[in-house]
Amino acid sequence: MSDAPSNVPVLQVDGLVKHFAVTRGLIRRKTIGLVRAVEDVSFEIARGETLALVGESGCGKSTTGRLILRLMEPTSGSVRFKGKEIADLDKDALRRMRRHMQIIFQDPYASLNPRMTVGEILAEPLRVHEIGDDASRAARGRELLDIVGLLPEHARRYPHQFSGGQRQRIGIARALAANPDLIVCDEPVSALDVSIQAQIVNLLQNLQQRFGLSYLFIAHDLAVVKHISDRVAVMYLGKLVEISDKKTLYDRPLHPYTQALLAAIPKPDPALRTKRVMLQGDVPSPFRPPTGCRFHTRCPHAQARCSAEEPLLREAAPGHRVACHFFETIPAPTILARAGLANGKFAARLAAFEAAKTARTPG
Amino acid sequence: MSAETLDTGFARESETGVFARAGVLRRLARDRAAALAGLVLSGIVLAALFAPWVAPYDPYFTDLTKVMRPPDAEHWFGTDNTGRDILSRVIFGTRNTLILGLVGVIVGGLIGGIMGIFATYYRRLDGWIMRLVDIMLAFPAILIGLAVAAIFGAGLSAVAIALVVATVPAVAREARGAAMGVMGQDFMEAGRAVGVSDGALIWRYLTLNCISTIFVFLTLRFGQIILTGSALGFLGMGAQPPTAELGMMAAQGRDFLFMAPHIATIPSCVIFVIVLAANLLGDAFRDVFDPRLQT
Repeated sequence: MSDAPSNVPVLQVDGLVKHFAVTRGLIRRKTIGLVRAVEDVSFEIARGETLALVGESGCGKSTTGRLILRLMEPTSGSVRFKGKEIADLDKDALRRMRRHMQIIFQDPYASLNPRMTVGEILAEPLRVHEIGDDASRAARGRELLDIVGLLPEHARRYPHQFSGGQRQRIGIARALAANPDLIVCDEPVSALDVSIQAQIVNLLQNLQQRFGLSYLFIAHDLAVVKHISDRVAVMYLGKLVEISDKKTLYDRPLHPYTQALLAAIPKPDPALRTKRVMLQGDVPSPFRPPTGCRFHTRCPHAQARCSAEEPLLREAAPGHRVACHFFETIPAPTILARAGLANGKFAARLAAFEAAKTARTPG
Repeated sequence: MSAETLDTGFARESETGVFARAGVLRRLARDRAAALAGLVLSGIVLAALFAPWVAPYDPYFTDLTKVMRPPDAEHWFGTDNTGRDILSRVIFGTRNTLILGLVGVIVGGLIGGIMGIFATYYRRLDGWIMRLVDIMLAFPAILIGLAVAAIFGAGLSAVAIALVVATVPAVAREARGAAMGVMGQDFMEAGRAVGVSDGALIWRYLTLNCISTIFVFLTLRFGQIILTGSALGFLGMGAQPPTAELGMMAAQGRDFLFMAPHIATIPSCVIFVIVLAANLLGDAFRDVFDPRLQT
């Protein structure tokens, strides 16, 4: 596990591109266009770090995750895992590499083979990579079940006998089985109830501390991302628009798209009033992305230059890069007022609640 | 977190295998028509299997003193135009008819299933395999039977080949449809991400998850295959006299339809009963295996 020098990032992605060809014709296939799902995406993940990849549906974040694991072949670009280029690996080397990089899926109902018992599912990575014998794999399976908070006797059961949250735990246990360094979490909690979401997110954090895992956490729920991530990368239509550490991004988002995303998070404080940046229209088709800045069709601050010239990721501060021509001049979103409800009955109720809480828990 | 780990303990281990016999049989027995069809069909199969012991007479023994006798106590199904016992010939004929149906289902199902699954797993093959299937679907089974019989000569094997060729494309389509559904599921990708080999992915992940769909399709198809086989026999493409085969026997009785209707109608009725029972059973299997219909 620790054969690479510790200063080399676990994962370095450089200029990753994925185009899907759209073909037509029965006999002679002609490519009539390209869907530019992922375009020139670069980032890195350090050991033990969680990088969250956020964006709307269809912006290419799941594709990016699959390209990193080479479950899909990238069109171009490089993915280096602990300094080793993955795109060059042949089939066998890739298979051996797979034990170090794993994935957790969004849909816990579809991600477990219904014909295998949980024990078989957990033993599969070890069997494939010829680790241990049958007995030690079964023991490892029971250990994994314990690690993710299930019972050892669950190993004999089939996936359909579990609830969604339990299945997601099994999916996590499978990802852990061969002691990976990197886990791509592809929206691991968005299909779960909110209460179960919290359990799974806490489990993931717990495991990260215990095993020094690195996560690429793909999500669209910014509240969850804020809880789990160290750094955040925002994607729009296949391109990174902003990447930064979590605190900077949430406190001082510079790209208008990030600002709009953050403004859309529901605030649990009814007294808080922020100016809502409402995005107009839909995400344009990645089949014909807009010229220049891909966001200019929906950007409230768009100017003539935006539709002509594509902005590059520029350093706004160390570790904070933004792809916008005008991020220096765009005003930061402001909290308008803490007025209104705060003076009325709500404040009184809140005060009573707080008083009751402090009374219940002395100290 | 502790609530999650509670043992729910409601599902019995016996009902979870690929073909959990006990569970499937119990659910089948709940369907009256299917249970009856199963009994009738297993009776017919057993009789055909043990034909030499079950049949009261030699199916090839001609007795010209007892020609075209209607059914009576001595010959339950009567005798044919050369005085052979029809019951014995039906029992032996069922044997040939069932073997044809089984060969069609098993060989055709195997080839078709492999084609459909490979077309799904190896996307490059998909276009080629499915175009081949389209071409095969364009030929009626009877026509294929005629062609095979013309090339290799009439006989049971000609009919068997025709039935296999007729079964393959439909099964390939069905298997491809089922496999496409499975391929889209995350666990296929999970298997690849873990590093499972292609062979194991195709068998344990893909095939085992669509095998029940293919199985149900084949049981539903079984009756149709027998019908086609009998039709080919009726047309003289199949078993040659004096071999007994239900379709051919019906054809032989055709000439005496007004003098001795039982010669043609009895084999026809047996075909009818077999096909009906097979279809009812297939329907019941579909209900049992379709997870959406399970309560």
